[in-house]
Amino acid sequence: MDHPFLELRGIHKRFGGVHALRGVDLTLRAGEAYHLLGENGCGKSTVIKIMSGAHAPSEGEILLDGVRHAALSPIMALQAGIETVYQDLSLLPNLSVAENVALGEQLVGGGGRMLRWLDRGRLGRTAAQALHEVGLEPTRALLATRVSDLPLALRQRVAIARAIAQEARLVIMDEPTTSLTRHEVETLIEVVGRLRAQNVAVLFVTHKLEECYRIGGQAIVFRDGQCVAQGPIAGYSRSELSELMTGREIEARRYRTGAPEGGELLRLEGLGSGEAFQDVSAALHRGEILGITGLSDSGRNELALALAGHRQITEGRVSMDGGPVRLDTPAQSIALGIGYVPEDRLGEGLFIEKSILDNEVPLILDRLLGPLGTIDRSKARAAAQDISAEMTLNTSDIDLPAGALSGGNQQRVLIGRWLSIAPRLLVLHGPTVGVDVGSKDTIYRAIQSMAERGIGLIIVSDDLPELLQNCDRILVMTAGRIAAEVRGDAASEDDIYQAMLASRPEAAE
Amino acid sequence: MTMTRSDPQTAARPGLAETFARRPELVSLCLLVVICVAVAVINPAFLSPGSLIDMGRASVVTGLFALGVFAILAAGGIDVSFTAIAALTMYALTLFVLNVAPGLPMAVILLIAVAGGTVLGAINGWLVHTLRVAALIVTIGTQYLFRGILLAFIGTVWLMELPPQMTAFGKASLLDFTTANGATVTLPWYFLTFPAAAVLTWLIFNRTLMGRAIFATGGNPEVAARLGYDQRTVHLFVFAFAGGLAGLAGIVHVCANRMANPFDLVGTEIGVIAAVVLGGARITGGTGSVFGTVTGVLLITVVNNVLVLVGIPSTWQRVVVGAFILLAAAFFVTRRRKLQPQIRKQAI
Repeated sequence: MDHPFLELRGIHKRFGGVHALRGVDLTLRAGEAYHLLGENGCGKSTVIKIMSGAHAPSEGEILLDGVRHAALSPIMALQAGIETVYQDLSLLPNLSVAENVALGEQLVGGGGRMLRWLDRGRLGRTAAQALHEVGLEPTRALLATRVSDLPLALRQRVAIARAIAQEARLVIMDEPTTSLTRHEVETLIEVVGRLRAQNVAVLFVTHKLEECYRIGGQAIVFRDGQCVAQGPIAGYSRSELSELMTGREIEARRYRTGAPEGGELLRLEGLGSGEAFQDVSAALHRGEILGITGLSDSGRNELALALAGHRQITEGRVSMDGGPVRLDTPAQSIALGIGYVPEDRLGEGLFIEKSILDNEVPLILDRLLGPLGTIDRSKARAAAQDISAEMTLNTSDIDLPAGALSGGNQQRVLIGRWLSIAPRLLVLHGPTVGVDVGSKDTIYRAIQSMAERGIGLIIVSDDLPELLQNCDRILVMTAGRIAAEVRGDAASEDDIYQAMLASRPEAAE
Repeated sequence: MTMTRSDPQTAARPGLAETFARRPELVSLCLLVVICVAVAVINPAFLSPGSLIDMGRASVVTGLFALGVFAILAAGGIDVSFTAIAALTMYALTLFVLNVAPGLPMAVILLIAVAGGTVLGAINGWLVHTLRVAALIVTIGTQYLFRGILLAFIGTVWLMELPPQMTAFGKASLLDFTTANGATVTLPWYFLTFPAAAVLTWLIFNRTLMGRAIFATGGNPEVAARLGYDQRTVHLFVFAFAGGLAGLAGIVHVCANRMANPFDLVGTEIGVIAAVVLGGARITGGTGSVFGTVTGVLLITVVNNVLVLVGIPSTWQRVVVGAFILLAAAFFVTRRRKLQPQIRKQAI
């Protein structure tokens, strides 16, 4: 009987309280191209980690060539020919290019056993062959270069070379084209064609629909941890796909009803930070909501960090209320009333093992001091109760650890923390990443009510519907510069997509 | 990010400064050469066979320890318990040979020492892997544990009379020299354990998959695991390897000193780690080389032994070693910053 190469059946994955995958069924056949589409936090990366053996599913089974497994280990996945090009490339910075590309062949060939002699001759030959296939000249110098010394654009191709260095049967590419120039994308598409001709399945995780249509094959759409559609990509229009991804019929309404007050709050003039972004000029009024979007390497993240004082501004000027200000450290930004809610709530925002109370009051400790200079716990409780009530947390137990809350409630705790100091400007980075639809609603309402109170808000996000529903204006960044500005009430998602994908810079030829 | 076209050929041909930054052990090698030349000019006695052999002998125990520490640092860990492993192994084994098996051949004694150390090291590796606690904390714990077991259950008495085969091993001569004043200096056989262990370590690191797996783990453990390098095996291996070398170092130490002192060795671990770091291994893992480690050991040994020859009080040794470490660290870090300007100090 002819089995499909890889099948997932009823896969669930839970991380603590987060239900990342809710019953996923997928079938991948040899020689086919698949495009895994979906918004951030929809479970795309979790599913590829399960296929590559990095995570074990909480429930469900995996069939490899018809053989049932409860979970794969990295070495099992590699032995079966499942190669992954991770978004972070997963290169080992301290090893040479040749070792990065070709060590896996010998490791996997030996079943993962490591007490074996290394065949250096074969290492070099395999690496040279694979590098040649991705269009890199495998010179002795390149083979011996340490990956940490390699320019970023080349690293991507080294990562792809690693995936094809061994006999792959499924190559998974997580956002492979984000940092590639057009020319490099062409090379990649050629490589994909060759792989498919050799009966290798290719799974793309991407949000660049243009390239998906060019490559063709099957679209797999994920939303909220479930596979909501699967079929030939040519059979879906762009708008059908984005509707499937966002489930927009639930959340199509525009939250923004107010309008900015008069009075300029913040002005950026020719702002730059190293290579991350340059020449960013913008203004924000009191009570205005400004969206900033762009691909992940567009400089939008770094701009948000710079405003929060987490990243050095190397050029240009920032003024608030018309007067110049410096944002060299987070403390300076906070003193000016600028709050920053990071995208990575768990890593950068919350004290995950501490209680809700402890998470809500750290910015106002000076107000909570008792006569002896120690924290007055009852004052702290009262303050935290107020914040929780204002943010409509769905628990009244403020002693619960923050880690026990859902994503939406965690985000509300973080925003509430900033509200405690009556901020003048709040920078929200991916405010609803990994948050369910219901919580999104509450967070959007909170955002709007803050704007009505005259707080200036900057939302940095790649959730386009979110920006369109909430913002007065949206800045689109590409390659470290502002490429376009659109009005939140007049633009469409497609307008923004086009602006994002338009001016990709080409390498100087 | 810029999309500048880069030429790998030029990217891979570093200048002198870059070479130093990439191979920090060369800085230590230069220091070593400069010191040796300077001392030899001031006091030619430094180059006499007697003084060289003294240093060779003095380097053995530090060297064996250092090769093990190098393996652990390369994998991104750290170990401060190896001296306790050595002390426990050597004392328990000496006592065992004296009281239970006086006829045991020396080769078997050495094997038992290595095996004992390997088992204790593997305990470290197992704990580090299963508890997922920082190796520093685990090995501080096991240092106390191993040493406590030694002193509480095994003994606190100095063993001044060694079994005869151990005494003989400590004395067995590889090379004899007669100095100008007629005395004989001996390069003992046990000296060979250091170069032999260095060659073995080099083979493991450069000629086996395990060596690459260790560097991969030190470079980025999460990525290494994704790529199929079993982290449990790597952890067990490096700690067991270091333990085995520590066991060997312990027994060599006993034979060389012709007595077994249970209070010995523990407390010298910082000096060993210093030697490995001077040899270019970064405390954050993924770097270093056997050549560098040997250089670091020689540098520390020379500093500890020759300052007296040129009239600097021995109390200054620590000052000099400390200054070297800071110098090497500062040099390395500043070079790296110049090479990679995008690495900026992040706000705290």
